[in-house]
Amino acid sequence: MKRRHFLTATVVGGTAVTLGGPVFLRRAYAQNPIKIGLPTVLSGGNAQYGIQAKRACELFAKDNKGKGILGRPVEFIYEDTAADPATAVRKAQKLVEKDGVKFLTGTVLSSEALAVSAKCPEWKVLLMSTINGAGALTAKSYNRYFFRINTSGPMGARAVSLYLAESSMKRFFALGSDYAWGRDSVQSFTAQITAAKKEVVAKDYPPVGTKDFASYIGKIKQSKADGVYLVLPGQDATIFLKQAHQFGVTREIKPIMEIVELENMKAVGDAMEGTIGSSRYPFTVDTPKNKAFVKRFHEMHNVYPDMFDGETYEGLEWLAQVITKAGSDDVEKVIEAWEDSKYDGLEGPFFMRKCDHQAVQPGFAVQAVKDPKYPHLIPKILATYPGDKVTPKCRTEEFA
Amino acid sequence: MSVANVVEQLLNALALAGLLFLVSAGLSLVFGILRVVNFAHGVFYMLGAYFGVTSVAVTGWFWPSLLLVPPVVGVVGAMLEASTLRFIYRRPPIYQLLLTFGLALILEESVRVVYGPTALGVEPPALLQGAVEIAGTFYPRYRLFLVVLGLAVGAVVWLLLTKTRTGLVIRAVAQNSEMADCLGADVTRVRTLVFGAACALAGLGGVAAAPMTTAYLGMGISVIVDAFVVVVIGGLGSIPGSMAGSLIVGAAQTWGAFYLPETAMVIMYAVMGAILIFRPWGLFGEEE
Repeated sequence: MKRRHFLTATVVGGTAVTLGGPVFLRRAYAQNPIKIGLPTVLSGGNAQYGIQAKRACELFAKDNKGKGILGRPVEFIYEDTAADPATAVRKAQKLVEKDGVKFLTGTVLSSEALAVSAKCPEWKVLLMSTINGAGALTAKSYNRYFFRINTSGPMGARAVSLYLAESSMKRFFALGSDYAWGRDSVQSFTAQITAAKKEVVAKDYPPVGTKDFASYIGKIKQSKADGVYLVLPGQDATIFLKQAHQFGVTREIKPIMEIVELENMKAVGDAMEGTIGSSRYPFTVDTPKNKAFVKRFHEMHNVYPDMFDGETYEGLEWLAQVITKAGSDDVEKVIEAWEDSKYDGLEGPFFMRKCDHQAVQPGFAVQAVKDPKYPHLIPKILATYPGDKVTPKCRTEEFA
Repeated sequence: MSVANVVEQLLNALALAGLLFLVSAGLSLVFGILRVVNFAHGVFYMLGAYFGVTSVAVTGWFWPSLLLVPPVVGVVGAMLEASTLRFIYRRPPIYQLLLTFGLALILEESVRVVYGPTALGVEPPALLQGAVEIAGTFYPRYRLFLVVLGLAVGAVVWLLLTKTRTGLVIRAVAQNSEMADCLGADVTRVRTLVFGAACALAGLGGVAAAPMTTAYLGMGISVIVDAFVVVVIGGLGSIPGSMAGSLIVGAAQTWGAFYLPETAMVIMYAVMGAILIFRPWGLFGEEE
């Protein structure tokens, strides 16, 4: 009896070792993925931005299936911050300490990014912004663990200002959401439009989540400006455009948006036709790389990529490129590899400045137009500006 | 400061008040009769907006949607009351707060899963499109309709509560549910009915709001905060109070944003604070 027990145990154990060996090895490989954490907004009114970041990650994962980065699989971990800076820090900390994430991205509000970025030097992790606009992130609040792939607010304001400098419009009303990005961008726009010998006649800062813009529309009407410069996040912009149209204001005073998003075009509909502004990534850019991306994206998600779908995808691709270049996912090595490096982006050449970690890239002025080929309005590119014209001087929000 | 300007600001305040009233009236009723602070109330407003947009998109009819969507939202509300809230009335208020808060989160995320994160727009009916000239200013027809709708619904609810037998029973339950029970009123049914009716009112507010604000995630949370302020100012459980509170909050928000933009939000809460200190039962509420 004893011997039989012994034999059984040996056989079972032996089988386990022989079969388990390769499994164990395979798991060692799988347990060592490159983890990218997204403390992003997945619920509530700003969820659309988190969902864009997530869509880009999903396409990136599909495109890199089997390849990975440095031969290691890529794992995305999503956390919902509910658009609250304190929660964003808590969730980022969880990603870093519990999940062992070295790379963070997907922060939605600039206020969240400012809060998380401030913690990165302590955590020794890299935060890659693909959405956050506030100029301060790469200026006053710069730290070496923060990289901005996307066009910043001041850069968008710059592209619009360059376009407006050529237009017949002279007087502008500026309306910015009452938080870091809105205030920052209105300031930047004012400075640049004044430099172009034009005037910002009045400005206002409605709180985030304003559902009735009637009072502001009244003031805009009263100002008799030629255009109204809008720095409002997605939902607020949609509501504003809808209501301004109902008041009939948009006929005389042209809406100019710092970011012209597909989300707005879908929700506002034809009432938005003719609106101009800048786009950080217009999916209509005519480059072979972008065309292929739009096709792959549409196949996977059945919608056209919005601004942050494109910008986030670029961020991931670039991050993969520099990790490969560094030959390691060691954060310090990746930072060094990234500084002063080049990347061939969807909409043109990108360059990561060492001095402030702002990606230099083309800027666009676009207009919302109808096109029978698409189910909604699309951004038509009015003008393209080279990176050095739309990127501010190092670690400032000023332009040469 | 021209006449046109003053008129326009006045109308802005009234239109917003109309919308706020539709939401806060239900919130106030539920508290007055069920003694429950219903955090999920704003979500029914959101459901109304989304259902309204769907209904208009499918049928192309605004007016039938305005009439039919609120009862649907009401039924959803009544079913939730009957299946969850009903069992915890006797527990401390914190349980009800947690439950309704949970329901709000579940419903909001369900809407996101079903409809996606993009806001949905809907046009006002042909009759209410465009603007009319009033005292030298062009004012959107649809906003005028919101003023009328708020007043009409207020009148109907008030009449229902004060002049009908059902209203009498509802008031009896509100005053002393145990006594009403002894006298033969079906308290459980009254509660479900009131909860459903309150949700229907919020749903009506949602359908009415959609052409002005679009239907979007987070609209429920954003409106519930204002509605709570309205109810605190007006007095819990009082319909005239909700009306007065809506006017005060509507005026504070729109005029504040126009004349004192930096302090618009402060004004509203300052009024609420003053009420809480000097008249904690609200303008039209009853001292307990």
